[in-house]
Amino acid sequence: MKIVVGGQVDRQEIANKIKEIAGEKVEVEIMDDIQAATAIKTGNADYYFGACHTGGGGALGMAMAILTNAKCATVSMPGRGPKAEKIKEEVKNGKVAFGFTADHIDKTVTLLLKNILN
Amino acid sequence: MQTILMALMGGLAAILTNKGIAVFNDGLRPIIPEHVEGRMSKRDLAATSFAMSFGLVIGFGIPFSLSANILLIHSILLGTDVIGTWAPDGKKGMVTAGIVGALYGLGLMYGLEFVVNIFEKMPVNFLSDLGKVGDPIVVAFAAFPALATAYQFGIKKGVFNLLAAGLVRQLAVTFSPLMLAGMEVSINPEGMALITGMLILLIFATREKSSNTNVGDLVSVFSERVARIKKNLPMLAVMGALVAAATAYQILAGDPISLNLMKEGALNEAALAALARGVGFIPLIATTAIATGVYSPVGMTFIFAAALFIKNPLLAAIAGAVIISLEILFLDKLAGLLDRFPGIKKAGDNIRTAMSKLLEVALLVGGMNAANAIIPGFGFLFVAGLYILNEIGDQPIVRMAVGPTAAILVGIIANIFVLLSISF
Repeated sequence: MKIVVGGQVDRQEIANKIKEIAGEKVEVEIMDDIQAATAIKTGNADYYFGACHTGGGGALGMAMAILTNAKCATVSMPGRGPKAEKIKEEVKNGKVAFGFTADHIDKTVTLLLKNILN
Repeated sequence: MQTILMALMGGLAAILTNKGIAVFNDGLRPIIPEHVEGRMSKRDLAATSFAMSFGLVIGFGIPFSLSANILLIHSILLGTDVIGTWAPDGKKGMVTAGIVGALYGLGLMYGLEFVVNIFEKMPVNFLSDLGKVGDPIVVAFAAFPALATAYQFGIKKGVFNLLAAGLVRQLAVTFSPLMLAGMEVSINPEGMALITGMLILLIFATREKSSNTNVGDLVSVFSERVARIKKNLPMLAVMGALVAAATAYQILAGDPISLNLMKEGALNEAALAALARGVGFIPLIATTAIATGVYSPVGMTFIFAAALFIKNPLLAAIAGAVIISLEILFLDKLAGLLDRFPGIKKAGDNIRTAMSKLLEVALLVGGMNAANAIIPGFGFLFVAGLYILNEIGDQPIVRMAVGPTAAILVGIIANIFVLLSISF
């Protein structure tokens, strides 16, 4: 499985967190947000993680434009941390691109991987 | 005049959002086409926009506005995002959005005044102590280009940039004012440090070259959406003029750093900070705008820098309109430029990361100092405690707003203490 890290802030931190949790189980690559969204579109990667300060703009903007809303979900926003239930549902519904705020990287990445790896 | 400006700004911004022409929240922008093109209902759109923006108004816009008595742009334009998406489509919706938006603008202005007046009349007037929240950031902001350098090019280059900026700052302190051709020219240390840091960052960044055409591809894929923005240029230019004029009146600021510098009366430094921040926003605004056909009511945020440099509201308004127009006219050219210098695009992202990290630290320290000036001892305890509690509780308050919010709370607590005759 391959996860691309797009978005606009703290890419390295997200990639490190993914590696820390999933280890060898996933391949992680940091990309420019446009490249990352394109990688999903062309089937070169399975999931897209991205962060910014709103959880939607820089994090998911390009993914939303290239993959449409049907594939994207904002899972944390300023003042609203990630919810385990919501993330479970979004993953089940076939969402592959996830945006969240940089404040919530640790918790969000942990929850996302828990659901994706199962 | 200020009152009319606020009403016009609120009204027009809400109309621009209602018609899907411009939204302020970068997170909301990609969702607008989903509704415009019929894949998302008005109700879902309104709910999403409320969820995205409300927390930022309460936990970010308002605390900063209160701590300096200057309105942070987020307070008004995140609100008009919600109003514009909530109002129905069509002519009637446009009128509703315009009226409610204008009322919201006025409400904010008078609301802020009202709250500040109440604070002044309280037994313990903590407003001057509250100003200490901004003390660290008005000097520390000059460090952010060095931090962005470190994010992008490694710790060694970051340290080099920080030392260079620090050195230039001390040189400016030592040699200012300069005598040039019999004229006394005072040099601002922080401004010089910021310019030095930005230059070094940009020199490193432009050395990164690439033949990939990412953003350029985006322009050709989304050419209809770019055309849509260009079609809306006149209305966006008017919006730019209004925002620039309000900034020149010093009733409005574009970001927490220039807001605090404006409060200190350091307008040129505020302008420099806004300019540097603008560089950070070029890639974000350009790429989201091209991909969505929706612009930002403040453009790439350069209008704030121009307004602060110019200072005259009328001239600032003209400059604001011209700048927004140029940004839009050259949107596709700009995309080409971002492709040719991928380092600059990355630098933009890193500048924004660096600025928010710096604000988190500086405003926490500022908040602790302010709170401790209001109630010695208790202030440190309360702010530090609240910061960690906010972390544990999944940040209901945006991290960088914890300092200002906590300091305001300590001010209110001080008054409660007086009412209950508890000594401090």
